Amino acid sequence: MIAFLLSRLGHGLLVLFVVSVLAFLLGNVVGDPVASILGLEAAESDRAALRVRLSLDDPLVLRYAYYLGDLLSGRFGNSYGAQRPIVDLLAERIPATVELALTALLLSVALGVLLGVLAAAYPQNRLVRLVMTSSVIGVSVPTFITGILLIGCFSLLLGWLPSFGRGDVVRFGFWSTGLLTASGLKSLIMPSVSLALGQVALVARLTRAEMMGVLRSDYIRFARARGLPERSVHFSHALRNTLIPIITVSGIQLGYLVAFAVVIEQVFQWPGMGLLFLQALAQTDVPLISAFLIVTGLFFVSINLVVDLLYAAADPRLRIKSVAERAG
Amino acid sequence: MKRFLRIATICSSLVLTVAAVPANTLRYGGTTPPLTMDPHATNDFVTASLVRQVYDSLVGLSNAMEPEPGIATAWEPVGETIWRFTIRSGVTFHDGAPLTAQDVAFSIMRQKEAPLYRALYGGIKEAKAVSDTSVEVVSQQPDPILPRKMVRLFVMSAKWARENNVEKVPDLGAVGTEAHTLRHANGTGPMRLVAQEPGTRTTFEKNPKFWGSFPGNLERAIYTPIASAPTRVSALLSKELDLITDLPLQDVERVRSTPDYLVAEVPQQLVMQLEMDGTRDVALDTFDKAGQPLKSNPFKDLRVRQAFAQAVDAKLIVDRIMRGHAMVVGTASAAGFGGYQKDLDIRWPTDAAKAKALLAEAGYPEGFVTQLNCPLARYVNTEEICRATASMLARIGVEARVKGMPWPEFARMLVNGPSSSFHLIGAAGNSGDTQDTFVSLMATRNKEKGTGGTNWALWSNAEFDAVTDELVRTFDPAKRTQLYRRGLTIGKEQVHAVYLHQPMLTWGMRKTVAIAPRADSAVMLKDVVVKP
Repeated sequence: MIAFLLSRLGHGLLVLFVVSVLAFLLGNVVGDPVASILGLEAAESDRAALRVRLSLDDPLVLRYAYYLGDLLSGRFGNSYGAQRPIVDLLAERIPATVELALTALLLSVALGVLLGVLAAAYPQNRLVRLVMTSSVIGVSVPTFITGILLIGCFSLLLGWLPSFGRGDVVRFGFWSTGLLTASGLKSLIMPSVSLALGQVALVARLTRAEMMGVLRSDYIRFARARGLPERSVHFSHALRNTLIPIITVSGIQLGYLVAFAVVIEQVFQWPGMGLLFLQALAQTDVPLISAFLIVTGLFFVSINLVVDLLYAAADPRLRIKSVAERAG
Repeated sequence: MKRFLRIATICSSLVLTVAAVPANTLRYGGTTPPLTMDPHATNDFVTASLVRQVYDSLVGLSNAMEPEPGIATAWEPVGETIWRFTIRSGVTFHDGAPLTAQDVAFSIMRQKEAPLYRALYGGIKEAKAVSDTSVEVVSQQPDPILPRKMVRLFVMSAKWARENNVEKVPDLGAVGTEAHTLRHANGTGPMRLVAQEPGTRTTFEKNPKFWGSFPGNLERAIYTPIASAPTRVSALLSKELDLITDLPLQDVERVRSTPDYLVAEVPQQLVMQLEMDGTRDVALDTFDKAGQPLKSNPFKDLRVRQAFAQAVDAKLIVDRIMRGHAMVVGTASAAGFGGYQKDLDIRWPTDAAKAKALLAEAGYPEGFVTQLNCPLARYVNTEEICRATASMLARIGVEARVKGMPWPEFARMLVNGPSSSFHLIGAAGNSGDTQDTFVSLMATRNKEKGTGGTNWALWSNAEFDAVTDELVRTFDPAKRTQLYRRGLTIGKEQVHAVYLHQPMLTWGMRKTVAIAPRADSAVMLKDVVVKP
């Protein structure tokens, strides 16, 4: 078990290392930080001074070492554009993104599971089939278009929901939440729905497939034979056994939701990490760009690690076989 | 149930506190957030236009972009290199401290040290308070337009800066903690800063002790950046915002045709132009029609330059691509710049046949192939402008291959080179005076003299340089006008660049808001009148 854990951890670290190298190289490709910071009109001497201070003329390997040092110390350095420590910036923005992604996850799982169960239980029902088919549209339409359509409908036409921002937030220590104010909740609806829509179809299809299998098993037939109501058979007996793969997939989905949130945050001016990242891109704010990539990488790696460990906990076979054997 | 009730009570009390929107509030939005509240740390124009509400400039800037009395009530030259500013009395900072001549001298020295203001204030040697009400500014060279430059010099309290450890402009890119001035401000302006939430929201309230007139009726104003254009327009049309400063061209008609909304425009202090290599013996990325690199620089031939000026139809670009929201420009200066000469502002006529003849005369009857470097974003519709230019040049046989680049890449190409022989760029004099355009953009690049710093195409003309040299040390207004005229005429005749247009700044607003747009994009909150 410990060997398995270590090998997974090693994989995670390797991925993070590769991400850090890529993020570092990206900083050298996207533009000249000095030109971005000082603009076009700066004097030659100011430019040279800044190059020295940012150690831009040192050898690549050495600069990577400085960069890694900053990363490992957890400081991430200062943002050029915002002129603030990146740690503070991220801490300020992470709650918004996490709340958005979790709400979207909750929505997509709730809707998807409901839809999937119904589709498995009533495969002939026309309405259910129609909804299932149209859920594909949710996957096909890019999230930013869904977002703009929602704004057009609920902000412009009906005037019910705010088109931008996070509303008023309440602070608990470093965490700021929009879940406790009316304006915060109203602001959350459209971004989370447009983010969730793309994932509903996935969850629904997965649930349906699993459900179909489970519904054929003996214990369901016995449950029916006992005269239990259909609803109880579907939702409390059958669903329970289909949940495990759904939970696994949801975990991985959370990573995608955080990644897609970049687009949605831009559309709704949602003050999260994604918006910060896009602003950083526009300003060639290299430290901030690479910090974002590292944090997102860390997020993905941790989710995968947790999922792997859960697998191991659930499936004893995984605990015995080593990684090498499985690969071979 | 009890718990539910408690949560419900908390929620409803929050709703009630939120619902109370104070009267006479302006909610407005633009594309980008202010980068900082430090008036000296950045020259980003969005930041400057917001900072101007809180900090007064030494010399005021009228809505017509003319210098007017501000913190200084009067100014006069003392000898060749000294300007004396008389400081207004009875002005107080937002923290209650009275403004002194020392504060002014401190602010000049602080802002002049900021790297981003080196181009504007680098020539200042020293600023000192010579009495309680006057400050002398000593520059290294004679500087006739120093007062005009001072419209961007913001006055900060020296004592406050010292107390908060921000006597120096925060170092960009340095590792450390957040500077106090990033979200705090203490100026003398018509509005006080209530809160700056970086990247999210900036809130102002009226300064009841403002020294000047306050014609509007605002009590409060909230600025929100919204990067996505459709969302910004939706926020305006759903009445979540009262005014937006960057109305996308494609939405102008939509906003205008909506009842209770109006659109207002003003020409921006920016000239879009195509610059051509004026120095290299062999032009970069330029080939003959067979694909062999040219052994010459066609752009050094005046006839080629004139051919380009007559081949590109600026009027058509304004009508079709800018949808009429721009003004054709014929000289290096445009309306709203100091030293602008309206009667000279006549563009080269569009004449493809003449252009083709000139090209043949210059030895390129078949035309040639060159690369048009094109910045994407930053300016309005640049990619479309470049494509249109390419197809207009195709009519005279010149194949311009458009190379679009994101701004950081484009900026790197210029700053670390400049390595471009043909490009589109927006030109803006730093202080809004044509003299800046002459010195930085048009004069021959010369590090020792500090000229031509942003002359990216390396245009060079000895006669023009002589005019510039004389202009920068001439104080007499009549003589200066003659020099402006001379310089602009040379620039046009020698085709310093193919001048295209001056874009409009377009604001969309509800009819309950009354405010005229300004060329510097600043919403002057003291002038805003809102009706319920």
